[in-house]
Order: sequence, then C-alpha cells, then structure tokens
Amino acid sequence: MKSRGHRLALVLGLMLGLGCGGPVFRLTSPDNDRTALTTALSHRALPEQPAPLNSSRTPRVFILAAGGPSKQLIAYDLQRNAILWKQAADVQSRIWVGGNFIVELEAKQLVARDQQTGAIKWQTAIPGEFIGATADADRAYIAYKENASTWWLAGYDGSSGKRLWKADADGILGAPMAHGGIVYVPYNQQWLSLIDGRSGAIAARIRGIDEGISMLRVTSRVAFYGSKQGVFRLDERSASGKRAESSYGQVKVPPQLDKTSYGRDTYDPVQNAYTAADRARILYAAPGEGMQLDAYAVHYFRFVFGFDHTGALIWAYSNPRVELVASEDTGAAILAISQTGNLVALDPANGAVRLDQNILNGAGVGSVLGATFDADGWSPSAQGEKTETVAALVSIARDHDARFDRVKELAVQALAKLPGGEVTQELLGVLADKRAPQHLKDVVVDLLVARKDPASLSVLTAQLAAHDDFLLQTEPLALGPVAKAIAGLGGAKLDPAAVSAALVALQSHLDAPTTQVADLVFVIDAMAAIGGGKERGALGSHLLLYHADDDLGSDPAWGKAIVLALENHGGPGERELLRQVAADPRTKPGLVAIIRDALAND
Amino acid sequence: MWVLAFACTSGLVAAAPKGARKGSAPDKKAAIAQLAIALDGVDDEAAAKAADELGDSTEPAAHDALLDSLAFGLRAPVAVQALSALAKHPAPPDVSSLERYALHHNPTVRGSALNALALYPDPVAHAAVVQGLHDPAGVVRTSAANAAAKAHVREAIEPLFALLARGEESAARALAAMADADLVRKLGDQLGKVPDASLALCLGLVLRRPDFGPDAERVEVVRAIGKITDQSAVNALTDYIDATPKNPPRQSRAEAEKMVEARISGGAK
Repeated sequence: MKSRGHRLALVLGLMLGLGCGGPVFRLTSPDNDRTALTTALSHRALPEQPAPLNSSRTPRVFILAAGGPSKQLIAYDLQRNAILWKQAADVQSRIWVGGNFIVELEAKQLVARDQQTGAIKWQTAIPGEFIGATADADRAYIAYKENASTWWLAGYDGSSGKRLWKADADGILGAPMAHGGIVYVPYNQQWLSLIDGRSGAIAARIRGIDEGISMLRVTSRVAFYGSKQGVFRLDERSASGKRAESSYGQVKVPPQLDKTSYGRDTYDPVQNAYTAADRARILYAAPGEGMQLDAYAVHYFRFVFGFDHTGALIWAYSNPRVELVASEDTGAAILAISQTGNLVALDPANGAVRLDQNILNGAGVGSVLGATFDADGWSPSAQGEKTETVAALVSIARDHDARFDRVKELAVQALAKLPGGEVTQELLGVLADKRAPQHLKDVVVDLLVARKDPASLSVLTAQLAAHDDFLLQTEPLALGPVAKAIAGLGGAKLDPAAVSAALVALQSHLDAPTTQVADLVFVIDAMAAIGGGKERGALGSHLLLYHADDDLGSDPAWGKAIVLALENHGGPGERELLRQVAADPRTKPGLVAIIRDALAND
Repeated sequence: MWVLAFACTSGLVAAAPKGARKGSAPDKKAAIAQLAIALDGVDDEAAAKAADELGDSTEPAAHDALLDSLAFGLRAPVAVQALSALAKHPAPPDVSSLERYALHHNPTVRGSALNALALYPDPVAHAAVVQGLHDPAGVVRTSAANAAAKAHVREAIEPLFALLARGEESAARALAAMADADLVRKLGDQLGKVPDASLALCLGLVLRRPDFGPDAERVEVVRAIGKITDQSAVNALTDYIDATPKNPPRQSRAEAEKMVEARISGGAK
C-alpha cells in the first residue's frame, strides 16, 4: 500500500510536468482537480482533536505591547496562567506561531524566536518587499515581491532558518498561511494554491469561480478561505470552485457592525501587523462538517455579540472602557485580550464570561497592540457563570463613545426584543440621557412603540411622573415617545389597575398648561387607545376648553387627535358633543372641518 | 332697591326685551339670557362685557350662566373676565371650574383663575394656588403668590420660601403679608440662604404692616434686617423710619435709626 507521501509526490510530479519550466504560480495551471486536492488535504499533518500548534500543545497567547523605548513581546501560558517570557523587541508585524518557535518581522528581518525562552533562534533578511509570513510545526514561510512583476514564496527550516526552497509567481501573491505541512497561498485574487511545505511544489489549486479568494483563516484542524462575501471550508468539495457545490457559508452581520470580516485580507499588506481589522472580526468555529454555522459571534472593538444561525442577536459582551485588540474562537471558547491586558473568555453559546483577568498586571508593559492566540480547542473551565446580556446591552446603549453610535442602535434593538418592564426602563433611560445621540433616541422611540409589551405599562406610567416644575426644576422626560409607546399597547390585555394609573398620569399631562402640542397629540392618542371609555370625560372637557382657542383650537394635529379620539372611541354622547362644538360659531374653522369629516358617516 | 341699582349699573335694564317690566323677575331672567348669549358670542369685547355684568348680578342664574359658559369653553380674553366675574360671588361649585382654568395653556388665564381661587376657602382651591407657585410662567407664579397671601394659604409657605430663595419679589411680598411672629423668626433664619435684597424687602414689608405687632415683635424684625449687610437692608429700615411717626416713640424705630446712622457713618455693617 502506497503512503500518503508517495501519492502526493505522484500528483506533484504530474502537476510539475504540466508546468514546462515556467513560474510555479502562473495562470495556466490545472485548477479544481479533485484528486490533487484530496491528496494534498490528506497530506496535512493535523491533530486528531483541536489543539494548539506549538510542539508542547500548550495553550498560549503571544502578545505585542508597547512599553518603554522598545515594544515588548510576551508569551503567556494560558494553562499555567503565567507569563512564559518577555522580550524587548521592535516587532513590526503580527506574530506567527510554529512548532517550537515563533516568527515576526523586526526591521527588514524575519526573526524566529524560541517559544520557551523568547531568545532569537535565527533571522533572515526579507529578500524583497514583504508580502506576508506564516509557520507550521517545522518551517517558516515568507511571501515577498522582488521586483515589479515577480512574487516569491520561500520556505525556511524552523530550527536553523536555512532557506529550503523558493517558488516564483507571475502574478500577485497574498499573505500565505501554513497548515500541517501545506501552505495556502492566495494568487491573483481568484486562486488558492496549496503548496507542499517541504518542496515548494504546487500540490493543488482552487479557482474561485463565483467568488474571489482574498481571505484565509486556519485553525488546528480546519482551513477557511473566501472573501468579504462569505467563507468556504477547505475540503474536497472545494474542488468545484463554486459556492453551491462547496462547503460554503454566509452569516448575517448587522449593518451597524460594518467592516467586519471572516478573516485577514491576505492582499492587504497593512494586515501583516495588528490593526483595527483585528478588532472587527466574525468569530466562528468549524461545524462537524460543511459550513452551516449554528452560531457565530462578532468582535467589534469593545464589544462581542453572539448570534444564532438565523442572525438573531442572542448575547452580548461589553468590555469596560477599552477595546479588545485581538480575539479568536477556539471552538471551546471565544478568547479576547484588551488594550490593558485583560484576558476575556466567553462561552460561545451564551456569552457567559468564563474568565476576565488581567494577565499583564505587574509585567511592566504598556498598552497591548495585538496578540496571536495559539489555543485551539482550549477554554478555561466553565463554572456556572451568569450571562449578563441585558447588562451588556444596556452598557453599550448608554456608552458615550460617539464612535459607537450605530452599535448602540444595535444594542437597543436587541434590548427591545427582550420582554419585561426592566428592559423598558432601560430603554427609557436612553431617552432620559441628555448625552445620548438624537438618532439613537429616535430608534428607541420606534422600538418602544413597536414593543407592545403589556408588562411595561407601569414602567411607562412611572416615566410620566415628571412635569414642568419651576421649583423642582423638572420637566417631562420623553413625554411624546412614552405616550406613543402607551398608545401602542391599545388592544393588548392590560392590568386594569395599571390602566387606571396610566390614565391618571396621562390626564395630568393632558391638563398640564405647558404640554406641547406635539406631545399632547400622543397623550390624547394614548388615552383613547387604552382608556376603554374612562378617558372620554377628560378628553371631552379638553376639547371644550380649547375648541375656540386661538392656538390649540387652530392646530390641525391637535384637532385631528382630539376629534378622532372622541369619534372613534366615544359613544353617542361624544358624537353629540362634537356636533355641538362644530355648531358653536366660535369654534375654529379648521376644527369644524375635522369634526364634519369625522362625522360624515353619521 | 339693590336689584334696581344693580340692574341700572349692570345694564340688565338695557338688555331687557321690549315689553318687559323693568326690575321684574322675567325682566331679569331675559336680561341674563341676553347676556349669556353675548358671553357665548364671537364678539370678544361684548362677551367680556357680558361676563362682567353677569358677575355683578347676585342672581343665581347669572352665576350659572357664567359657570355654563366656562364649562363649554371660553376664548382666553373672555375667560379672564368671566373668571373674575365668577369670583365676585363665590360659591363652592365654582372651584372645579376655576381649577380647570388654572391649568389653561394661556398664562394670563391661569393667573386670573388663581386670583379668583384666593377667594375660596377650599382645600382644592388652596392646592391649586400652591401648584401655581410651581408654574414655569413668572406671571402665573406672581398671581399664585398674591392668591396665597390673600387667602393665607399655609401650605404655600414652603414653596414661597423656595421662591424667595430664587429672588422672586412676589414671594417676598406674599410672605410679608402672611407673616406672624413665628414666620418672621423663620424668615430671619433665611439669612444667607436667600438673596439679601429679597429678605430685606420681605422683612421691610412686614415692618410696614400696620397690623403687625406689638412693637417688641417689630424690634425683632428690625434686628433681623440689621443682620443683612446688603444696602437693601438700609433701604428697608429707612423706608420704615420714614413711614413711622416719631411719636409716640417706638423702640423699633429708634433701633432702626441707630442702625441706619451706623451704616451711613461707616460703622457697624
């Protein structure tokens, strides 16, 4: 029986034979060859279970932090909960993790450091313009551009730094990613080449037929590729090159969380370093097979939101004050680290916080610039943590950071979907917040109206307690929106005692001398909607008081509201009252017309 | 006799239908009916005049006509007149109508209602007056303060103190009008908590009240004013000295003189 290595060599031989001596990466190569792809994938040395890549299989995070004249490179052992080592280093890139080494860019050198000590093992000059780097258990790889038209991928021995091979390309190469001995290399935005890490030969090539290939992400066992539109799981079905015949998925990301991505854009050289792109990520773990995700999360600067497969937001986490600079879904937990060194671990199912600990306390380093997790499959032990989604959403909604105004909209939208007076109270809190943006308040008003939560009536009523008062220095808080929200409860089954209290509160604003017309209209609507007839006396008296008034009596919005309230919700007595008002020569003409229209069918 | 005089002065005679005997019951009834029609008419001037005339009448029907018109809703300028007219002959049923207009959107109407409510010894009326002290419109707070003073609404004292702290002159005048010895002591305790000028005005007005006394209590007021460093204190004392005859001698006047001399000569502040 032939070994996997023999099969791969056979395939490589065939493919190289077709090459006829030109560049390794070129337009005319066999694409989407299922046999070659299957062979290449099977050649990968992947763990049986999700596990860290490093040789000791210990969960680690490698952190780049500011600190003093030089940056600080820190290795942290997540298992032992301890700093493994710390080295001053002017790191210019992100950190790529190998078996017993890491690589990163310092000046124009690719530097490999011992993973146990942080000491430099070897370094090598980047032969041209740096495109990207990666590592696997045994080797490091660099993509670079030598002149205007030639790109190269080179493999280096992870122990010695000796260059093992290099392969040229006649088109643009993206930043590579290594995976168990195979190197994935995006090419010309449309192809993903699978390169044998030992020889530099092409093992297989995928051509995206209906979607470009610019994104790459690998976990210990699964590789993902795709674009901003969606994500493919790299498997045998990838040979189709088409979404429909591949393991392909798309998730719904709310428009408020724009610029999030499924992974690094391999063609963006800026993303070779830790950037804002690392703070706006879709986080997902590979399902057992295929690419239909049951759940996913979005890391968005200070926040992490969890969604179910329909795209409904089901949990949220808000990191206090500072941003989360890096995150990873290990399959068992969502890990993230903040600018101040707080390591957070969240339950991907419900957002429960399993760990929230500053791992850099006393380390004498400045703010965290970025980090690379090597912790696939790892999670701190769950200990029955509580999910604080409401608190997190409230925290987001009340946040005064103007950069996140749209995220606040998302938070209030999610809040509004939760039942109960407590949530209504929090939404009202947004309306009462003088520093909250007006657009957010508008959204909250719409949500309150659409909410139609009978349990919220008493909370809404309580909100009506404040009036214009010179001595108490108070004024109504969001009177119109609250009244509008109460009106939205019309027809719902309401507690009679709560209705009575609401009517009293509403009437106090109906009668209040300073209630503005815009609010008065909603107050009238609300009384009519929930009053069940008990409001008729107050509304009739109100109409009489102002039917000949130069201000209110001439206001069409007020006229329409009061007349329709009495006509639609009143009985014969109210209609007779309307007729009498219409017959009064002092009644404002506009109001008379409204009454006549309303009574036209009588 | 009174009916005739009232009819003559109020115009009820002129308003009576032809053929009706002057001063007779049908006569008055018809006149009131005419006035009621005018009150509900589109001519604001005529309506206001009718309100005034109905208010002058002691006929229950005239009062009822005012109440009916107020119930059906009057335009602001007419309502102002009708509210005053209603209070010319206060009756318990008036309070709910006045209370309704005390919350009218038009501040002048609210002020008129509060002025009228001062004439009703009714807890609801008093509550409305107290509420008027909280009104955002200054003109309404002034009316409420005046009403509180006129009706001696004890529940108004606390909000009046709060208004005094904000320097509202109407509050100073109301508190001065309501002050007894106990309230004067409380006013004295406000030194430093309310503007000096407001406190001096208030205490100065208390001093000048002919019904306030005996002189020992006036002395306490003078001493309370003496603690105020603002020039307004000197003005208040000077006004008191000017308004009070030298004889018979009053200790309060003498102390006030000494304080003023000391201030003018730059002595004690």
